[in-house]
Amino acid sequence: MIKKSIWIYHLNTGGCNGCDIEIIDVLTPFHDAERLGVKLVGSPRHADVILLTGPITRQSMEKAINAITAAPDPKFIVAIGSCACGGGIWYDSYATVGGIEAFYKILRERGVKPPKVIYVPGCPPRPEAILHALAYFKGLASKKIKKRVFVEK
Amino acid sequence: MRILRLEEIENPELKEIYEEIVKRFGDGILRSELIAGNKLHLHVEKGFLRKVSSHIFDELGAFYCTTAGVDERPLGGGFRAYHIFSIDEKNLFIVVSAEASPSLPRLPSIANDVQGANWAEREVRDLLGIEFDGHPDPRRLVLPDDWPEGVYPLRKDFRYDLKEVPRVKKQYPMRRPEAEEYVMPIGPYHPALHEPEYFRLYVRGGRVVDAEYRGFGVFRGVEKVAEGRLTYTQIPFIAERICGICGFTHSSCYCEAIEEASGIEIPERAQYIRTIMLELERIESHLLWVGVACHLLGFDTGFMHCWRIREGVMDLCELISGNRKTYGMNLVGGVRRDITEKGREKALEYLAKMRKELREISEVVSGMSELTARIKDVGILSKADARKLSVVGPTARGSGLKRDVRVDHPYFAYGKVSFKIPVYSEGDVWARLMVRVEELFSSADIIEQALEGIPSGDLMAERIEIPVGVRGLGVTEAPRGENIHFLITGAENKIYRWKVRAPTYNNLPSVPIMLKDESLADAPIIIASIDPCFSCTDRMVIVDEKTGEERVLGAEEILRLARRGEIR
Amino acid sequence: MSRFTLLKKAKEIGVITERYPYKPTKVPEGFRGKPEIDPEKCIGCCACIAACPPNALTSLDENGYRVIRIFYGRCIFCGRCVDVCPEKAIRMTEEFELTADDHEELVQEVRLKLVRCSVCGRYYDTERHYRMILKEFEEAGLKVDPEVLRRCPEHRMGMSAEVIGLRRVRK
Repeated sequence: MIKKSIWIYHLNTGGCNGCDIEIIDVLTPFHDAERLGVKLVGSPRHADVILLTGPITRQSMEKAINAITAAPDPKFIVAIGSCACGGGIWYDSYATVGGIEAFYKILRERGVKPPKVIYVPGCPPRPEAILHALAYFKGLASKKIKKRVFVEK
Repeated sequence: MRILRLEEIENPELKEIYEEIVKRFGDGILRSELIAGNKLHLHVEKGFLRKVSSHIFDELGAFYCTTAGVDERPLGGGFRAYHIFSIDEKNLFIVVSAEASPSLPRLPSIANDVQGANWAEREVRDLLGIEFDGHPDPRRLVLPDDWPEGVYPLRKDFRYDLKEVPRVKKQYPMRRPEAEEYVMPIGPYHPALHEPEYFRLYVRGGRVVDAEYRGFGVFRGVEKVAEGRLTYTQIPFIAERICGICGFTHSSCYCEAIEEASGIEIPERAQYIRTIMLELERIESHLLWVGVACHLLGFDTGFMHCWRIREGVMDLCELISGNRKTYGMNLVGGVRRDITEKGREKALEYLAKMRKELREISEVVSGMSELTARIKDVGILSKADARKLSVVGPTARGSGLKRDVRVDHPYFAYGKVSFKIPVYSEGDVWARLMVRVEELFSSADIIEQALEGIPSGDLMAERIEIPVGVRGLGVTEAPRGENIHFLITGAENKIYRWKVRAPTYNNLPSVPIMLKDESLADAPIIIASIDPCFSCTDRMVIVDEKTGEERVLGAEEILRLARRGEIR
Repeated sequence: MSRFTLLKKAKEIGVITERYPYKPTKVPEGFRGKPEIDPEKCIGCCACIAACPPNALTSLDENGYRVIRIFYGRCIFCGRCVDVCPEKAIRMTEEFELTADDHEELVQEVRLKLVRCSVCGRYYDTERHYRMILKEFEEAGLKVDPEVLRRCPEHRMGMSAEVIGLRRVRK
């Protein structure tokens, strides 16, 4: 999707830190995402891709919306971890929005066009899973999962 | 409704304490009971709450742990606040509770006598609506800013999955800066790590004069979800996800609490496995922190080396548990997975390597004068302040308080291993760094001894029955300090109330004290020195209050200035 | 002195960066990757659904089918479903590269046929589970009228052995 170097901004919306630490891990010597041209930036205004972790808590939601709208177009979101992808174990809690789907519904209600999202499930995902998503972005790796339905005859 | 007789207490020290309390406040004690031999529960008359609490805190030298509020209306009572104290050197806990009326819940605040209770009482007020009379700072603490007043999520008549709570427009009230004071917001987002938390520093001439904290951006309603939806065997998994760095200590603590409450004896092998995993987690967490501290001081080489060493423990945990971070091994009554022979070998191999490499790194770090100059005599927390706020873990041990749950209240297999607890009296960032580095070596000692002495046998207790309405208190030493879980069991395989107090909760209120009169450039490392799961080289906005002019510094710029010590 | 120590150390260690994604990586034995339901073995008893802490596993009865659905986007990979499955129909695979464009891709569905209650005619259990119970009766040497056994929990209440037509087969 993006051929050039990807600049990423890390947006924690109330995650437990598990995914966040794995994101840092991706940038340390063993996994070294910088060899794929990935650079962590300090402001959403510089970012191509927002790495979103956490179930989007009520307290962090407004700030997350601000950060996402601040990123320049075209922008992408990579939802990392079970919390971001589907709300995780607290998907139905009163204090969380409950994952990216519910969050996008709120964005649409507010008239904000939600950016395209890539899902990276895992609790937390292995650093290689995050690298896989970034490589998929650059066309270096292919998707390995698809919906499977079994119907009893 | 009964009062414990003196003969019923076996522990002579507790007997003495109880005798004194009964002598002094006999009329005020409505009910008392003893749980697990060393946990004394005192239900006191409202008017006696302050007196009994300050007696325990000041005269008995207890540390304040936390306050748990419980909605006991469905049980035929009112609202009840449980203040938990620990007497470390005697391995005792005293729980003082008082009941507030269901219609107009009010209790006297103990926060003026026991400073550490400040946050916990605000939390109880937020979640249960108990008003604490005379509280010094009755602002909101944990609930989101846009949460309406008068809606209390932990009350039993509130549904855990109610998402349609209306949003109100409201700003969190923070102190206005005085003349000549600048405001430095730190947060809520950090470019590298961590959580949506917000610090506001009040700065005068490059010196921090005051700090305020508005956090709880990660408030996910864990306790309510557990009470509302999950069964007791599912809760270890939500407990593990409270923190992505020290999750295993939470699930262990929960299991310890419920096992103690129901009298479940877990097999010895399971106890050893829990101990080993807890220490592996400590190694992982401390290496992470030492790395981040190096990063904040501008020593990225050290950061990369620490994380390189850390990668080994992550792989080891993945081999043992099947996941790098969320081990998922705890169940009520034991553990799910065994440590195989292969895991044992790899662990011993890793520990030998880690010791060698860590020694090299720590020699380099302590030998770099430009690095130590940044952390020595910086961010001092005196022993008296540490005691007053009841700080825990490496933060307490760096300020000369010798408290460690592993020794004071031994749990699992910690009673069967010997290890050193580093204590430094300097109270600065350097002391807290050294405590953590030395703890890495003691953790390796513990794991080696545990792997040596691990007995064979079952992993799960045979009989697991959980009675209704019993109270349990679990305490473990997380990498960041004492971690407390208080629970009341309920019917239908559910928990009636589960209160979690993570160590950072007690440590964070000490940050404003550490920051006071320090240079702004040192703020990032000082805040990070308690290992709060977030640091603060964030995008900062400097607002000139007089002209209203805003200057926004990028993270890179701040980091550069912070490293050079140039923000003045 | 110290800076040279680190330089020497770095040289001694050499390059440790893995080649992923250009070269595949290996996960250790016992890794908890994506859980997978074996649709041939699943009997639709829903034990996994009761055990799943984040409710990533759900079930829904529609159009004569019971739909067992696992949503990897919410799965926490704890493996409790594997522990509780009576038929060993779920296993943790070694797959962890679950990058997807759409959350629908992160789904596995198993649709199992339902049977109707012989009294009220409503769907109440999967055919596989019903047949399994029938077989268990047979294996225990108990003869039972299949029509009578096929009852929803509501209409099964108060049924005694005589009502089911249960009698031991003399051999």
